[in-house]
Amino acid sequence: MFFRVLADEWVFLRTSRMWWAALATLSVITIVAAFVGSARVQQLDQLAGGLNADEVMLQQTLKAGVERYEANPSGDPPSTMNAGALGLSLLAHYAVKPSTPLAPLAVGQSDLAPAYYRVTAHAAYTFLNQIEIANALNLAAGSFDVAFVLIFVLPIFIVALTFDLLSKEKEQGTLALVLAHGVSVQTYVAAKVTARALLIGGLILIANLAAFVTIGADLTDGRTLLEAALWIVVSVVYGLFWFALALLINSWNWPSVTNGVVLANLWLVFVVVLPAFINIGATLIYPPPSRVELTTELRQASKEVEEEAAEAREQYYFDHPEYAEGGTPDAFYFQVLATESAISAAIAPHLAEFEEQARKQEAMISRLQYLSPAILAQRALSGIAGTAQRWYDDFNAQVLAFHQVWQGFFSERILGSIPMSAASYDTIPVFGYRLPASRFTVGQTAGPLAGLAAFFLLLTVLGIRSAARYPAV
Amino acid sequence: MIGTVAAREYTTLMRDGRMKLTVTIVLVMLFVALVSAVQRYRDISEERATSQALVNAQFAEQGAKNPHAAAHYGIYAFKPVTPLSFFDTGVSSYQGVSVWLEAHKQNRAEGRPADDMTVLARFGELTVAYTLQILLPLLVILLAFPAFAGEREQGTLRQVMSMGIRGRDLLFGKALGALAAIGTTLGPVFALGVLALMFAPDGLSYLPHAISLAVIYGLYAVVFLFLTLAVSAALPNSKPVLVAMCGFWAVTVFVVPRLAADVSRIAYPLPAAVTVDKAIEADLQNGLDGQSPDAVVGQRREQTLTLYGAERVEDLPINFQGIVFSIQEQLGNAIFDVHYGGLNQTLDAQQGVHELLGLISPVLPVKLISMELSGTSLHHQASYTRHAEAYRREFIEQMNQAITLNSKPGEAEYRAGPELWAAVEPYDYEPPGFFSSLSTLGPSLMTLFLWLLAAVTAAVLATRRLKVTAG
Repeated sequence: MFFRVLADEWVFLRTSRMWWAALATLSVITIVAAFVGSARVQQLDQLAGGLNADEVMLQQTLKAGVERYEANPSGDPPSTMNAGALGLSLLAHYAVKPSTPLAPLAVGQSDLAPAYYRVTAHAAYTFLNQIEIANALNLAAGSFDVAFVLIFVLPIFIVALTFDLLSKEKEQGTLALVLAHGVSVQTYVAAKVTARALLIGGLILIANLAAFVTIGADLTDGRTLLEAALWIVVSVVYGLFWFALALLINSWNWPSVTNGVVLANLWLVFVVVLPAFINIGATLIYPPPSRVELTTELRQASKEVEEEAAEAREQYYFDHPEYAEGGTPDAFYFQVLATESAISAAIAPHLAEFEEQARKQEAMISRLQYLSPAILAQRALSGIAGTAQRWYDDFNAQVLAFHQVWQGFFSERILGSIPMSAASYDTIPVFGYRLPASRFTVGQTAGPLAGLAAFFLLLTVLGIRSAARYPAV
Repeated sequence: MIGTVAAREYTTLMRDGRMKLTVTIVLVMLFVALVSAVQRYRDISEERATSQALVNAQFAEQGAKNPHAAAHYGIYAFKPVTPLSFFDTGVSSYQGVSVWLEAHKQNRAEGRPADDMTVLARFGELTVAYTLQILLPLLVILLAFPAFAGEREQGTLRQVMSMGIRGRDLLFGKALGALAAIGTTLGPVFALGVLALMFAPDGLSYLPHAISLAVIYGLYAVVFLFLTLAVSAALPNSKPVLVAMCGFWAVTVFVVPRLAADVSRIAYPLPAAVTVDKAIEADLQNGLDGQSPDAVVGQRREQTLTLYGAERVEDLPINFQGIVFSIQEQLGNAIFDVHYGGLNQTLDAQQGVHELLGLISPVLPVKLISMELSGTSLHHQASYTRHAEAYRREFIEQMNQAITLNSKPGEAEYRAGPELWAAVEPYDYEPPGFFSSLSTLGPSLMTLFLWLLAAVTAAVLATRRLKVTAG
């Protein structure tokens, strides 16, 4: 009997214009969102590619100059043999985070967090706080990406398609008619729901496949395939959660219009209210330290260090009277390194405070995320796409580690007054982004996905139990 | 007659149980937004004022120094917050709050609050304005969708119409009743907001802004109200009215603003920071119009020597180095004007996309007007950075003139003291006033007016020939 009803339902839905319209609309907006995302990531990739190319050219030019001098050393060595001039003024290395294959699907934090840093031998604080030029109006509005379509728009489609699933039949009197044919309520409802659940799953699958094609994701690559599969699983479970919710509301035997109003409010609670409240809660309980105060503290620290440095300089010249006349370039670079390292030490506790508060906020959010499926989906999807905050934290850690190496390379030569030979140009460190292992992605997704599945199962069980008692008349 | 209809509608709505959920959500959100904002405003405004005073003092007390060293030391310009920024944070979280003003360089604003916000902020920052922009329309829709269609289903519309009431009277009566119901619900929040404003320092001077904001959000509600009434009158049953209006709400409030952001980015792409910096660097080295900075300095040297009838720079009664610094500044400033002027044009063009797409979503003009009146718009940021840059140019010129006039040629060891630092006016910024804000709002006010006109016209047309029976 179940399959008979299921088959009937299937025929009905297959010819339903509303479902085809929903499929078409959802696919079109997903494709638009994927296209917009592709354009955005391509722009960034193009920029990042150019950065390192310029740099290689500059290094080769400088190295050629050194080679000429080495072949025919006459007069003073060129400044390009001075490690201080190179590391603190002429050379910089752009450390770039290459885009991940599914990055076009979710903007995540990629519009705020830098995808590249200009690493020099100067202290890290001099380049860490760079801000990309952007229109704040656009940043505040957010992006129309596939993740947004799935998290915000998809539930509206699902709710619109299912808010009157049972109430409509009742209002039109068809439910009583069907039951008069000897079908039990449970069987009828189960078949009806299964047919629709399959369709909704198919709807999401098709929309996502369209998105993968639009961004040109290479699904023959194992890693990308795994990510794409995870993406589909998360979005399908999230979509089915909304379906189960609509089903549960339906089972309470309210009029269609009341179902609609209640579901609209629940959408509001999960997608708008809870994220906003958890955000404000985390911000009030663990307020980030003030950037404005950091600015004034940095200034105060520089002033103090420079005053101390001035004294130290006098001591230095007392010890090295031969340099007192104008000083030597090396002494100057030596001083820059010493000053910056002192400033870094002075502001380190303040920077640590920023990290500490951010860590506590994140800990609180990762506990409270289980209150809202929309938050779970957002975190899972941006984690899969490689644009979640954790990806940028990982990138920043890699950049800081690289900065140590880069700065070490030059400071060793500055402090040891070792000239930069043409051969040593070839040993200048190069940043290589280490893509975190796939368990990094899976790890970020597992918790949210389990949460979504729990939401879905809970509502399904409640819905089925409640629907079984659904009064036919 | 309109009054009777309104009174009846009002009573019915206030009794409707379905509204309770939404009203509760709205009130809780408004309350949390208001309380947290008042707290934050107090902290932030205090901190900015203290920091500005601190850096002003740091500059004044920097001890004896060459004025050029003082120019390099520079001053920070912090962006003060307006009292209404607690109502609508606008785009301020995504913009730098301080600019370092130093010699040779126009720096961009730094210290963006968004960089320290949680990832959940990307769902939307909870402010009173955000709550109103999103929930006011939903409240109105849920309130008004059964206005005609529901009565039609219950058969009461036939009765009412048989009493000879004109469709238009019924429309305006119902509209008035619904507005009264919304007013009763949200009025106390408005009063609380005004009270909070009164207690904020300098809050009273923002009363015209606050009243204008109330009017704008009122009109916003009216637009959705008449649209809902139009659809409710046109469609036979209340269910499709609810689906259609909720769909319209979701698209206009959530989808279109994001689409506007992406369309504007694609239509008018902004250059990357590194690209702009490289272009500025190249222009600083080569000169803007093919005239190298060295050539300009050489020319001026000849002119100055001729003017004073001197043979060599060392024979001049002034320090020519100061003039060189001034020339470098002027050349640099022209270059900054070209590049940052171009950037600002692109930003304006992008905002133009948001203004244009306001024609398909009434939330866009309301957002733009709201952030402008709250002092948290792009225009306010531009005004702040422009003011900071003008201040920088004047202050650096003061330093350069001090070198030119007070030191001897080639006297690198010249030191200026507290008198010179005191001669620099402490940095102080006044945000644009009410009328300056209004003057930027032409397109958005016009769009909102068009929406109002369209909504009322649609409702009047839809109620001209009311069908009394459900389909």
